[in-house]
Amino acid sequence: MPRLPGTSFLTDFHKVPCKFELDVPELGYLDNNPAQPLKSGTTIGLPLWLAELLALANRAPSSADEDAKSFISLNLPPSLSNEVMAALKADPRAVPLRDQSHNFYGLGTRILDLFEEREICAILRRTFVTRAADISLHAGKAGTTDDMGVGAGEDFLRGLEEWERKLFKKAHDGAKSTKEWMEGVKKH
Amino acid sequence: MDIDDILREVDPASQSIPTETRDLQALTRAWVAERSSPELLHWPADGLFERVNDRIKQQIERVEEMTGDMDPKTNFALIVIQTELERFKYLVRSYLRARIAKIDKHTLHYLSSPDLRARLSETEQAYATRHQALLHNHYLSSFLSAFPPALQNLNDTAGNISMIDAPDLDTAVFIRLLKDALVEGHGTDMDGSLNGKNGDVVILRWSDAKPLVESGHAEVI
Amino acid sequence: MALPLPSGLVPTEVAFLCEMEIITIVPRQRLESIPMLSGKTPALRPPRRADLPLWLALLLKKQRRANIVPPPWLLTASLQELVNLETNVNPEGFSEPPPPPMRSDGRGVARPYAATTSRTGDEDGDTKELTLSSPFLPSCTQDAPSGYLPFHWLEIAETLLAHAADDIPNAPEVRALLRDLQEVRAAKLRASTRHLEGGGGVLKLRGVGAMELAESRGFVLSVVDGVRKLGASIEAGRREEELERREGRGGDESDDDMEL
Repeated sequence: MPRLPGTSFLTDFHKVPCKFELDVPELGYLDNNPAQPLKSGTTIGLPLWLAELLALANRAPSSADEDAKSFISLNLPPSLSNEVMAALKADPRAVPLRDQSHNFYGLGTRILDLFEEREICAILRRTFVTRAADISLHAGKAGTTDDMGVGAGEDFLRGLEEWERKLFKKAHDGAKSTKEWMEGVKKH
Repeated sequence: MDIDDILREVDPASQSIPTETRDLQALTRAWVAERSSPELLHWPADGLFERVNDRIKQQIERVEEMTGDMDPKTNFALIVIQTELERFKYLVRSYLRARIAKIDKHTLHYLSSPDLRARLSETEQAYATRHQALLHNHYLSSFLSAFPPALQNLNDTAGNISMIDAPDLDTAVFIRLLKDALVEGHGTDMDGSLNGKNGDVVILRWSDAKPLVESGHAEVI
Repeated sequence: MALPLPSGLVPTEVAFLCEMEIITIVPRQRLESIPMLSGKTPALRPPRRADLPLWLALLLKKQRRANIVPPPWLLTASLQELVNLETNVNPEGFSEPPPPPMRSDGRGVARPYAATTSRTGDEDGDTKELTLSSPFLPSCTQDAPSGYLPFHWLEIAETLLAHAADDIPNAPEVRALLRDLQEVRAAKLRASTRHLEGGGGVLKLRGVGAMELAESRGFVLSVVDGVRKLGASIEAGRREEELERREGRGGDESDDDMEL
């Protein structure tokens, strides 16, 4: 499937940790050391679009040496670290995902494209589905009261990341338009 | 009274449903499907839309004739006919607008191959072509003309990235089975299938639902 | 000019559909047949009952030209049975939709009402089939079965309670029972998304109603789409493996049911 310009635009600029596998002259400033070449083994946060290109590019296609193949090796961003995964496994609702990344799942799918991480994939899906049920409950309440249902689950709702905010809006719009129809049917 | 009506009256157990009801069912189904599926569907091939439109025109003429008649008895009939006319117009308009919304969103995509182009009615094809030409001219005059000619295209597919935005055919939809049928759907950890019964409501990807809908085994709801 | 609405019917559109449902009336005045676009209306002769589209029945009701005969499933006994079905008998799924209506073929054999073959294309022998479905099946007339909620149950019930409450026996209790039904079923629809994390390809929701769908469609489908996107790389990997396994067998008889 082609990656469409625009659809994941913001995620493109999310920085992910990259370890350089070779010395690069003139790039020392990336590591606050402009006088020196960027040393092999240095880890620097690069925007995802660049990290993807560099991680997948082959600098010595003919070389048999596996390690010599790519410019950088990509590491999991902190929002998908073992600690976060463990916390989500324990209780998906207790983690304010927005604090991890505004586009937590969007970033997740891009990273899963690069790493084969079955465990992370399973945890993300369970987290998404479990939290979605809560989102629907809150949005349903918001449809019947006028304060957007913020009262009870304020902390939970504040911790929603982008996909979840869209889910909340869909659930809320559905409840609201149905309620409006139910009230309007008496009038005409 | 035409021959169908006469036959229906002498044989009340006849299997036939009046053409008018059939066409309204077909139009309603096409409208719901167009409103709920991620891609533009085929313009009805059997002249359905033209038939309905002709009847609407005739009915408007009838209304004009009846308006001259001030008999209070025809007056109520006129209200009924006009109310129904408005309902038909709503249906037709909403159907066309749902299609235009999809064409607007992915104009280049629907113009990009003869197969896709064939889904559009003649009027829609003319609209899409003009719409795209206007848009391209607008881009040209506002910024594209400043680019080197090689970068002025809007339909490049170089570097594995297509500039032609296309609808996501794997978007999930709700369907209802009209007949018993095997329903198969692509899934993440595994693919699914079920022996569907008439009346079953199923959520699945549009790409998996499409063959069932096109063969008349299911309808989008 | 293009439609500024989200994908999937919104409640007002569902209500528009529901107004095409056929309902039974008792005329209070004579009315000659009217040549409508959807066919001629029956001539109305009080007190002979007649079946009409809901929008027309409501027009007659408002003008005091007719009373409405509530469908049997909307009576209190039927609704009580349904609340019990939804709460105790089948707390997981929705109650069954009405069985497909049948009609006699005149020789004492019942045939499905819905299936019909085309009479327009018969010159070239093309008998294209068209299956009728809601709102064109008689699921809200006086002959509809009790104890089954038709696709447009909630909209029909609300509309009749709003405009023809005096034609519905014990309307306040009907109203209360409808609220119970609505609540227990809404919880089921919400719970349905909990089974989605594996992304199993097909999810059955037999018996769900049109207005219930309009309320939850956007949410439910977004959850399904989200799970698919989160699992896209895993799914692609699985398909690749399956393809390799197939090709590895070098033209063996393909006896599994993998979809590729």
